[in-house]
Amino acid sequence: MDLTTVLATILLLPLASAGFITLCLRRRGYAAAAVSVVVGFVLMALALVAVLNWNGQPLHRSWEWIRFGNFAYTMGFYFDHQAALMLLVVTFVAGWIQLFSVGYMDDDPAKGRFFGGLSIFMFSILGITLADNLIMLFVFWELVGFSSYMLIAHYYTTDFANMASKKAFIVNRIGDFGFILGIVWCYHYYGTVDLEALRNLTHLNAPLLQTSAAVGIGLLLMCGFIGKSAQFPLQVWLTDAMAGPTPVSALIHAATMVAAGIYFLARVYFLLPPFTLHWIMWSGALMTAFAGLCALGQTDIKKSLAYSTLSHLGYMATAVGLGYPELALFHMAMHACFKATLFLGAGSVIHSCHHEQDIYKMGGLFRRMPITGLTFGAASLAIAAIPFFSGSYSKDTIITAAFLKGMNEGPQYYLVYVLVLFAALCTALYMGRLFCVAFLGQPRSEHAAHAHESSAFMTIPLAVLGFLSVVAGWVVYHWDWAQGRMNWVMPSAATEVFVPTYHAVETLAAQAGVGHALDLVAIALAVAGLVGAGIFYGRARAGDPLQARAPGVFQVLERHGWFDDLYDWYVAKVQQCACEMAAIGDLLIVKFVFVQGTAAITGLTGALLKRVHVGSLHAYVYWFLGGVLLFWAFALGWF
Amino acid sequence: MTPGLQAYLTVAGILFAIGFAGVLLRRNTLVIYMCLELMLSATTLALVAFSRFNGTMDGALFVFFIITVAAAEVSVGLAIIVALYRRRHTIQVDHLNYLKF
Repeated sequence: MDLTTVLATILLLPLASAGFITLCLRRRGYAAAAVSVVVGFVLMALALVAVLNWNGQPLHRSWEWIRFGNFAYTMGFYFDHQAALMLLVVTFVAGWIQLFSVGYMDDDPAKGRFFGGLSIFMFSILGITLADNLIMLFVFWELVGFSSYMLIAHYYTTDFANMASKKAFIVNRIGDFGFILGIVWCYHYYGTVDLEALRNLTHLNAPLLQTSAAVGIGLLLMCGFIGKSAQFPLQVWLTDAMAGPTPVSALIHAATMVAAGIYFLARVYFLLPPFTLHWIMWSGALMTAFAGLCALGQTDIKKSLAYSTLSHLGYMATAVGLGYPELALFHMAMHACFKATLFLGAGSVIHSCHHEQDIYKMGGLFRRMPITGLTFGAASLAIAAIPFFSGSYSKDTIITAAFLKGMNEGPQYYLVYVLVLFAALCTALYMGRLFCVAFLGQPRSEHAAHAHESSAFMTIPLAVLGFLSVVAGWVVYHWDWAQGRMNWVMPSAATEVFVPTYHAVETLAAQAGVGHALDLVAIALAVAGLVGAGIFYGRARAGDPLQARAPGVFQVLERHGWFDDLYDWYVAKVQQCACEMAAIGDLLIVKFVFVQGTAAITGLTGALLKRVHVGSLHAYVYWFLGGVLLFWAFALGWF
Repeated sequence: MTPGLQAYLTVAGILFAIGFAGVLLRRNTLVIYMCLELMLSATTLALVAFSRFNGTMDGALFVFFIITVAAAEVSVGLAIIVALYRRRHTIQVDHLNYLKF
C-alpha cells in the first residue's frame, strides 16, 4: 500500500466504524465498544506504519469535488512533518482513551451512541489533520464542533449537559464565523486556499503579508483558533464542557480537539503577520496566568483540570506568538500525554467514587487506588515541569523563548516571561492541591472510603499514558533506534518538527548565558509550588483553605473573573435589547408597511369597487356607457 | 330617385336608438336580448351602406362574419336564458340580482 491509500484508510475507517455502529449496533453496547476500540487500535497501528514508511517528502494529493465556475473545490491530503506528529498524537491518545471508555462507561445504557460519537469525532479530527486546503479543513472543523456537541450532551437528560453542549456549540460558531470570513477573504486576496500553494506564494512574495488585508485575514483565521482552542475571549465553553463523560473530556478537551486549534495555527503560521502574532502572544500569556489562578478556585476535579488545559493552551498560543509554532506543537504533544493521563485518572477516581467530582469529598485515595494515584502523580509532576518529566522540556523551553524575546526585542516582552513563569508556579500549586486533597490525607466521604482500584480496561491506558508523560520528553536526546526511524518513543519523522527548534532555543539561551539560570528559576518555582501546595492544602479537612482565609479572592477565581456573568449580562440585557429594537423595526416596517399596508390598500380598493355592483342590469349598461364616453373623451384629447 | 347614404345612416341610427332604448328600459331578458340584436343589425346596415357607397365590397364581406358570430352568440345566449328560466322560473332582470354585493 502506498502512503495515499494508508492515509485514506486512516481517514475513512472511523467514518465506517461510526456508520456501522449507528446503523447496526445502537442496541448492542458491548459490540459497539469492541468495534470502536478495535478501529482505534488499527488506526494507531496504521498511523505508525504510515509515518515509519514515509520517505520524509511532503505528500500532496488532491481530488476535485465540486466546481463553481472557475473555482474548483478539492479534497485532499497534505502530509508533512506537522501532520505526521498530529496524526500520531491523535490516534495514539484516542486509541487508549477508547479502551479506557470501555471500563468507564460499563454501567452506561447508551454505549452505542457514545462509541459511535467517539468514532465520528476521530473521523473529524483526522480530517483536520490531513486536510490540504482551508475549505476542507473548515468542513472537518465544523464536524469536530458537531461531534463534540454530541459527546458533551451524552447525559442529555440533565439540564447542565444540554446547556453545556449548546454553549460549546454556539461559542464555537462565533469563532468559526470569523474563520470562514477569513477563508473567503484569503481566497479573494491570495487567489487560493490550498495550504501548499499559500506557503509557496508567501515565501516567494513576502510583501504580500505586509498589507492590511493580510493582517485582516490573519486576525479572522485566528478567530477559528480562538473558538476551538478556547482562548480569550471565547474561553468560556471549555470549562462547562466538562458536563460530558470524563473520557470525552480527556479526548476532546485536553488531548485533541483544543489541540486542533494550535495545530491549525502552526499549519497556517506563514499567513500570520506580526500584528496577529502579537495578539496571539499577549492573549495567550494573559490566559495562561489567569486560567492557572482560576484552577485554584475549583473544587470539581474535572473543572480544575479544565482550567489547567486553558492555561496550557495559553502556553501553546504564547509559543506561536513568540514565533515558535514548533514549540507549540511540542508542548501540544507532551500536553496530550500528561493531560490525557490526568483526565483519565480523574475519570478513574470519579468512577470508583460513584460519580463524586468534588475533591473535598475524596481523600486518601492513593492507598486504595495505587495505579491511578501513581500515574496521576507522575502526570502532575510532568505538567508542573519537574526536570526530566515530559512537561519540563516543552514548557521550560517556551518560558526560555519568552525571556529571550524580552532580552532581544524590548523589555515589554519580559512581562510575557513573568506571566508564563507565574503560570508555571500556578500549575505546580493547583496540581499539588489536587493531588494532596484527592489522593492524600483521610477519606472525607463514604464513597471515598470504599473506593477501589478500577478495572484493567482503565488502568492499562493509565499506565501507558502515565509512562509516556514521564518519558516522552526524552526524544530531545536523539536516542535513535530501528535504523534511525525511531527517536526514543516516537518516530523520527514526527520529532523532526520540534527537536531542532528545541535545541536552537536552548543554544540561544546558552549563548546569552542565561540557560541555566532560567532553568533553575523555573524548577525552583515548580518545586516551591508543589511544596507550598503540600503545606497549604495538606491539612485541609472539609473545605478549601483558600476559601476559608480569603473568601473574596476564592470567589473571583471560582467564577473565573465573572466572565460568564458578563456574557450572561451582555446576552440578556444588551443583545436582548438590540433584538427587541430589531423586533420593533420588523413590526413597524415589515409587518405594518409591507404586509398589512399592501393588504389594506387592496382591501380598500375592493371595498370601494364593490359598491358599483348594484345588481341591476340597467345600471351596468350605464357604467358601460360611462366607460365608452370616457374612452371617447380620451380619444378626443379632452384630458 | 334612389335614397342616398344619408337615408341609410338615418335608418341605421334610428334602429340603433330603438335597440338601445329597449336595452335600457325593458325588464324582460328576452326582450333586452332582441333589442341587442336590433342594435347589431343597425350597425350591419350602416356597414353595408358604407360599403355600397364607397364602391368596395369589404363591408359586405364583413356582414357574413357578423351574421355568423351573431348566430353563435344567439344560440349561447338563448340557451342561457332557457337554463335561467328553468332554475329561477323568471327572466325579469329585477329578480336576477344574486351577484350584487
